[in-house]
Amino acid sequence: MKPTEKLILALPKGRILDEVLPLVNKAGIEPEADFFDPKSRKLQFATNIGGLDIIRVRAFDVATFVAFGAAHLGVVGNDVLMEYNYSDIYSPVDLQVGKCRLSLAVPKEIAGEQDPSSWSHVRVATKYPNLTRKYYAERGVQAEVIKLNGAMELAPSLGLCRRIVDLVSTGSTLKANGLKEVEILTEISSKLIVNRPAFKTQPEEISGWIDRFKHAVPSQ
Amino acid sequence: MTTGMDKQSGAPPGDKALLPSGLRDQLAPFAEFEAETVSKLMAAFARFGYDRVTPPLMEFEETLLSGTGKQNSPKMFRVMDPDTQRVLGLRSDMTVQIARMAATRMQDIARPLRLSYAGNVVRVRGSQVRPTRQFIQAGVEIIGCDSLAAELEVICLAVEALVDAGVVDLTLDLTVAPLAGMVADSLGLDAAQREIAKKALDAKDVGALDVFGGTAKEILTAILLATGIAGAAMEKLEMLSLSGAAGQLVARLGMMVDALSTCLPKVKVTIDPGESHGFEYKSGIGFAVFAPGVRGELGRGGRYMARGNDGGEEPAAGFSIYLDSIIRALPIPSMPMKIFLPFDVSHQMSEKLRKKGYRTVQALTEVVDCRHEAQRLHCSHWFNSDKVEPV
Repeated sequence: MKPTEKLILALPKGRILDEVLPLVNKAGIEPEADFFDPKSRKLQFATNIGGLDIIRVRAFDVATFVAFGAAHLGVVGNDVLMEYNYSDIYSPVDLQVGKCRLSLAVPKEIAGEQDPSSWSHVRVATKYPNLTRKYYAERGVQAEVIKLNGAMELAPSLGLCRRIVDLVSTGSTLKANGLKEVEILTEISSKLIVNRPAFKTQPEEISGWIDRFKHAVPSQ
Repeated sequence: MTTGMDKQSGAPPGDKALLPSGLRDQLAPFAEFEAETVSKLMAAFARFGYDRVTPPLMEFEETLLSGTGKQNSPKMFRVMDPDTQRVLGLRSDMTVQIARMAATRMQDIARPLRLSYAGNVVRVRGSQVRPTRQFIQAGVEIIGCDSLAAELEVICLAVEALVDAGVVDLTLDLTVAPLAGMVADSLGLDAAQREIAKKALDAKDVGALDVFGGTAKEILTAILLATGIAGAAMEKLEMLSLSGAAGQLVARLGMMVDALSTCLPKVKVTIDPGESHGFEYKSGIGFAVFAPGVRGELGRGGRYMARGNDGGEEPAAGFSIYLDSIIRALPIPSMPMKIFLPFDVSHQMSEKLRKKGYRTVQALTEVVDCRHEAQRLHCSHWFNSDKVEPV
């Protein structure tokens, strides 16, 4: 790995980005115009801060970029952090955005029969195989996981498997697909994350950004 | 017969070349560079009066897993010893072996005992960030002394050795792993609360400490925030005026920070009193060395309790480094200078050149174009009628 002069902030693409950007602005960071241009092919964007660039990658990749030190700072949900469980990542600030929960859902016809505490084995489709396995293992349940990358809600109706573990925010997608939430695995919100070696080798700079983000989060 | 020329356009090596994940071949110039770096480190350790010892590659499983070795169980390769039918472990960490030697064969040797070591270790799996499964570990242990001077010596030695090996812009991060536990004791936290506090401290997540009230929240938050450049962070930590064991540990850390500013004024020192992750077996001050642009730390060490032969414990301090990490912090080595000697160069002449320090590559057959042949064999120079010329 080459030492980079610039700090890199990794932001997640998609839904969460709209919620995170106001905080990024409040922390004093304004991305260049290309960042907002959907036609731009750029992947790395300059900001009003000379020593800070932004990259926009998939949420799962934010954690990977930061864990490997390719990005110094990042924003990612704790669902991703729990799934990877990287040891070289600090998550100093809960940004209080991207709030949702990771839940187990089943077809509503069988929802009433479900008593998760009596299971010895569960078969689920999910985007979070490690997190799901670990959650159930801690409860003495062996989870047989089918990894899917999206459209989890289709799995029960097409007979792939009856249960899914997926992100739920309002629950309307579940409802539209005839599913019911029966158990919450964990509550989720987005965190500011920091690469551990970067924190140790550039303590003043990194702590400065942590403080700015901390103050950008509206107090409860 | 295959000649050298034919090999240049050989078929792809195919799966014969495939190695298990995390294992690799070291080619030139890296293999030599790694060995040279080990020599430089070991020479620095020797200059501080540390004697080199070499334990075997494998030992009885239960010996390797005793004392601080407990944590190594999930990382360790095991084989069955056909002779004794006992399970042997391949070492995944040499410090356990050094502690064993100190407690057994060397128990009657005068303390403090200063030992150094270097050798390969293997692990069942690498980490996500560092998938390597075999690497060289080098380090020192000072056993039988609990004074601050011992930790200070180990830190100074670590820095001197790394600087000698060519690492620049070192950062030294000091930790006090037992502090959080001591504070939790004095606050009377239960097991579940300790777990929450530990997780919050490990993640540097101040918000997660909100579940605590009053003094607990105040103290834990202050510890978490007292990180960064040693001077300022130490002031924050001292303002807490912790009492008892925690207070003593903070005082010791303060003395260390002062001592380091005198001994190693050029090294950037940070402290991180809330960090315990990876320092679980440290019984006092711990430290990790970082260099900019290198993923992960270069080495770590600190104070711990070495398990004695009779089940008792001996105070010890040590430091160990992984060579693959250091190599990443160093400039890429260049190929050494080699001189191609045409077929007719006499043995006396080639000996003379070697004595001058040149590396010679002797032609084994007559060749027409010696300069071209020198290039083909990756020589930097060739011997052209009594003169060394670049190719």
